[in-house]
Amino acid sequence: MPLMDDIDRAVLNRIQSDFPITSRPYLSIANDIGLSETDVLNRVVRLKEAGIIRRIGGNFFPGKLGFVSTLCAAKVPEDKISLFAETVNHYPGVTHNYQRDNNFNIWFTFIAPSMEEIESNLEKISKETGITDILNLPATKLFKVKAHFDL
Amino acid sequence: MINLTELEKKIIASIQGDIPITERPFLEIAQRLGVTEETLLEKLQGLSDKGVIRRFGATLRHQKSGFEANAMVAWKVREEQVDAVGENMASFREVSHCYRREPTDQWPYNIYTMVHAKDEESCREIARRLSAETSVDTYTLLFSRKELKKTSMQYFPTVEN
Repeated sequence: MPLMDDIDRAVLNRIQSDFPITSRPYLSIANDIGLSETDVLNRVVRLKEAGIIRRIGGNFFPGKLGFVSTLCAAKVPEDKISLFAETVNHYPGVTHNYQRDNNFNIWFTFIAPSMEEIESNLEKISKETGITDILNLPATKLFKVKAHFDL
Repeated sequence: MINLTELEKKIIASIQGDIPITERPFLEIAQRLGVTEETLLEKLQGLSDKGVIRRFGATLRHQKSGFEANAMVAWKVREEQVDAVGENMASFREVSHCYRREPTDQWPYNIYTMVHAKDEESCREIARRLSAETSVDTYTLLFSRKELKKTSMQYFPTVEN
């Protein structure tokens, strides 16, 4: 992993789940790791530019903000994948979309203010693309959601 | 659902994308919102304490950080065992997400786990361990072949400068 050294890993481990909500967050991290604030900042800028950090910001439970979310899966023939993906991705509430190797080959998440809105959008997507095999699989129980990767 | 003030909605909008990577990122955001840095920090802490902010910090592209492969594993679990199995699977460190979802006629699976590892064979090995541990032997691994979209949700409109 030439892109990262051990100090980068220490910085990344820290800012994934314990980003200081303080006036000078990178100074707090620098003091804990034993670096200068500038060194920490330079590393974070470089890791962002290298694409290792996708973003730095807040992550939310949609339900606590008055939104609902679901996972959808569609059976899409090879020659219709681009059209289908383009149609689906057009919705701002579709935040993740992956092609996976299964008969149900397109999997996307959908967030909206209500399930009715999601269902009506799925109907529109079916009409526009001719793809009718779309599963709507809202979570009924959450056992774990974590996004921290020990490096 | 939690009732949010207009200021809280603006604050959420200001951190739902990327915050600046600078010495005082919260000062910049506070100035944009027309509040003091102190107020912003206090409100952010409050939103975290209330669980509205699930996690604040960096999201990595794990493909570039040593976790090249990921698989969604869908499991068909006997309904009376769902809670025990879900909790057991969630306790594995290789499992980042674990949900129950309603099965359908076309898709009989009811537990979903995301597993991350260095390659696909390692993902299969993790699934075999989860299976052995829980005695659930009907499952399917769905490897991602292509990322078609990955963004963060824009819950509230962003305040313009």
